[in-house]
Amino acid sequence: MKSIKEEFFTDQEIVKKIKEGDKDAFCFIVDRYQKGLINFIFHMIGHYEESLELCQEVFLKVYSNIDLYDRNYKFSTWIYKIASNLTIDHLRKSNPRTDSLDELNEDDEKKIDVKSEELDPIEKLEKKIVGKEIIDAIRSLDPHSRELIILRHIHFRSYEEIAKISNLPLGTIKNRIFRARKELVKKLQKVEMKQNRGLKRIDKMEMKK
Amino acid sequence: MICKKVVELLPRFIENDFSEEEYNDILKHLKTCKRCKKEYESMKALIDKLETIPLINVPPSFKDAVMKNIKKGKNGR
Repeated sequence: MKSIKEEFFTDQEIVKKIKEGDKDAFCFIVDRYQKGLINFIFHMIGHYEESLELCQEVFLKVYSNIDLYDRNYKFSTWIYKIASNLTIDHLRKSNPRTDSLDELNEDDEKKIDVKSEELDPIEKLEKKIVGKEIIDAIRSLDPHSRELIILRHIHFRSYEEIAKISNLPLGTIKNRIFRARKELVKKLQKVEMKQNRGLKRIDKMEMKK
Repeated sequence: MICKKVVELLPRFIENDFSEEEYNDILKHLKTCKRCKKEYESMKALIDKLETIPLINVPPSFKDAVMKNIKKGKNGR
């Protein structure tokens, strides 16, 4: 059982303990980051079971590379960077024909989306609380844009931290997030137009009865 | 303020990152320009929707599974 004292260790202090050989101290890292990382990966790949497996892999990689962690950086940035790399690799492997994830065509995007049909544990939640449209719209973005939107607007990471996670200049990150938001607005507007057309059709059918 | 300038400033405006002068100028513009107002409202609605996406729960056994693998030495340390 965790003691109160251990709960108040900083990330840096926990990392120091792990580097000194205290394997058990790693459970505090898992405690702190599991929810954030599983959600990040889940929104990226759209498959619950796979996101749990991938998150396991992230933690194992974090542990085995802990000696490489540079304490001049925030630990959370480092751990999200590892999660980001593994997740993008995972998506790349799911689309072996695609050299660059930025060049995904519509068919490839649909293939990623197919997985969203397997979301049983949270599907009801999505439908009830937010509406499936927004989740589908995020998943239809190219993986890099999707990652930026998730980090900024679901995980509330600062632009500066996202720039470090993505290894890109701050200005580029800001522009890409603005562009991704615009694309999302367009996608949602299209869905809304389709829904409105559907409703009008239903109204007409009702009138004919 | 012209539309082009407002459209450039809107992303920062939506995230409350602006000077007092910019704030007043943008508000003044949005009151009179329907197109920019629409752009602002759709962007704001998007961010509101994104921020209501719920987080999924972590299975209680997850942490134990990670720690078990670490102790087994599946990590190369």
